[in-house]
Amino acid sequence: MTRGFAAGQLVLRLLVLLGPLVALLATGLVGVVPAGWLVALVAVLSVAFAAMPDSPFGTAVMLVVLAWWGISLRDGLHPEAVLAAAGLVTAHVAAVLASYGPGSMPLDRGVVRLWAARGAAVLLAAPTVWVVAALLRDQPEAPGIWVAGLAAACAATLVAAVAFPLDRRS
Amino acid sequence: MSEWRATTSLSRALVVSAVGVGAAVLFGEPVLVVLTAPLLLLGALGLVHRPTAAPRVLTRLDHVALHEGQGTLSRLSLHDGHDVEHVTRVAAASPYVALHPAGGQVGRLLGEGPADLELSPRRWGRRMLGEEKVGLHTRWAGYRWGPVAVGGQEMRVLPLTAPFDSRAEAPQPLGVVGVHRSRRLGSGSEFAGIRPFQAGDRLRRINWRVSLRSDALHVETTRAEEDSGVLLVVDALADHGRSGGAEGAASSLDLTVRAAAAIAEHHVRNGDRIALRVVGRGGEKIGYGSGKAHLRMLLGTLAGMRVGEPRGFDTEALQLGVTGGTVVVVLSPMLAESIGTATATLVRRGLPVLVIDTLPPDAVPAVTDGTDPVLADLAWRMRRIEREQVLGRLSALGCPVVAWRGPGTVDDVMRRLARRAQLPRVRVR
Repeated sequence: MTRGFAAGQLVLRLLVLLGPLVALLATGLVGVVPAGWLVALVAVLSVAFAAMPDSPFGTAVMLVVLAWWGISLRDGLHPEAVLAAAGLVTAHVAAVLASYGPGSMPLDRGVVRLWAARGAAVLLAAPTVWVVAALLRDQPEAPGIWVAGLAAACAATLVAAVAFPLDRRS
Repeated sequence: MSEWRATTSLSRALVVSAVGVGAAVLFGEPVLVVLTAPLLLLGALGLVHRPTAAPRVLTRLDHVALHEGQGTLSRLSLHDGHDVEHVTRVAAASPYVALHPAGGQVGRLLGEGPADLELSPRRWGRRMLGEEKVGLHTRWAGYRWGPVAVGGQEMRVLPLTAPFDSRAEAPQPLGVVGVHRSRRLGSGSEFAGIRPFQAGDRLRRINWRVSLRSDALHVETTRAEEDSGVLLVVDALADHGRSGGAEGAASSLDLTVRAAAAIAEHHVRNGDRIALRVVGRGGEKIGYGSGKAHLRMLLGTLAGMRVGEPRGFDTEALQLGVTGGTVVVVLSPMLAESIGTATATLVRRGLPVLVIDTLPPDAVPAVTDGTDPVLADLAWRMRRIEREQVLGRLSALGCPVVAWRGPGTVDDVMRRLARRAQLPRVRVR
């Protein structure tokens, strides 16, 4: 195993580093600028995430960003959230690619193309949800709508688990 | 063996999306669903493609024997791998083994063709090829198998054999059938002389022109053609200088082994009998033989020889076990006293001995850490002066000493040895 990073891996690490920061600073476009210590915290966690893409630092930095969005923009549904989602998805996908092997392993074009397409496809969920949420926002909230949604998600997960059972022999 | 485990990326997607959706439900913040919906999808797709079978991984090299500088392909075969989308192979670094892609690391989608690694040993000797770690990922990178260490295969990398086509005769052919002109008369093609006819001579040997002029039958005589016995004595007591592999600088052992391989191949092609004696830790010996199978055995022994002084090595009593009618080729940097003594003994016995000097001109001693460099340099210079004296004494005894310069090195020397072998000489026993 050689030391040093391949050129493609450096680009991936840069994307892992910048993704959470972009997601955090996106609230600044709405006029809510995060505190300096928070930016520093996210930057430190992002650096650790970029250095070790297969570590829990990624989960931690994304939860911090989520918490900031939930706390700073109470009851706000701004289109900048789509930009933040793009930052998180980019960081996640870049970390997936980086964790396929050691940092010195050159990237395969086929793998990068596949994951770029996958990232773009799943990212479409963010504007879709935002549009649906914006359309339903002014509608009177049906009692128990959130609970019903959560129950539907749980049911979907249960169906998926039953449909694709884990083979214990593996 | 390993088993499938959920990846960190899957747990990250599931944890972040679960917390985001949960917080959105609890606090009524739809923006959190916007942020986490893509991650929720990624996590769900990773879960959906859960593996159902344990794969088995095997690697195989395309070749079982290689010469230094040649390359082979390490192929990966995957059984029960229908869940696998991505393969990662990381080859272990091994001295004098070049890898392609550089670094020996390859990661690619299984559907885009085999993830093969190219390996090329750059120096003769025992080399471990194909040692690596293999990791597998399912679709959407939800689960990982490995990385698992896959054992390699030790291979005896054969030395390069430079094209070598000497036309020089062997000094003392003493065999059965061969291509070298013998000293004795026999049924060959080389003209030796004309003598009066004797009972038993073949009629087709009669020289009619001389017979008519002299009024008596005369026949032409020819020289017999025989094979020769060649003993290669390889000095493997130490390796001097730095080896850069097939295309780089050559150490003393590189020169020794490559020269021995080239000479052996040449003589085997001429139908001569070749034997090998390695003076080293392993003390490898190969008896006289000829043919391609014998050459392969010789090259394999050269590739696998162990370097260093043997235990209980008696520098005064090195016996090479040489019989008459053998040409002895000593390949050595001539830094060991025992080799010089044994060579001088053979020369005194009247055997044709050729010394091929394999010390690289720029060789420097390998010293342990903490050794005073001035002292080491002084000792090395003294050792080289002693070496020059040994080489001078051998030359004075009539033993030719040549530095290995590749094909053609021994041509002139062998011719001179062959001419000298025709002259009468006194042997010391």
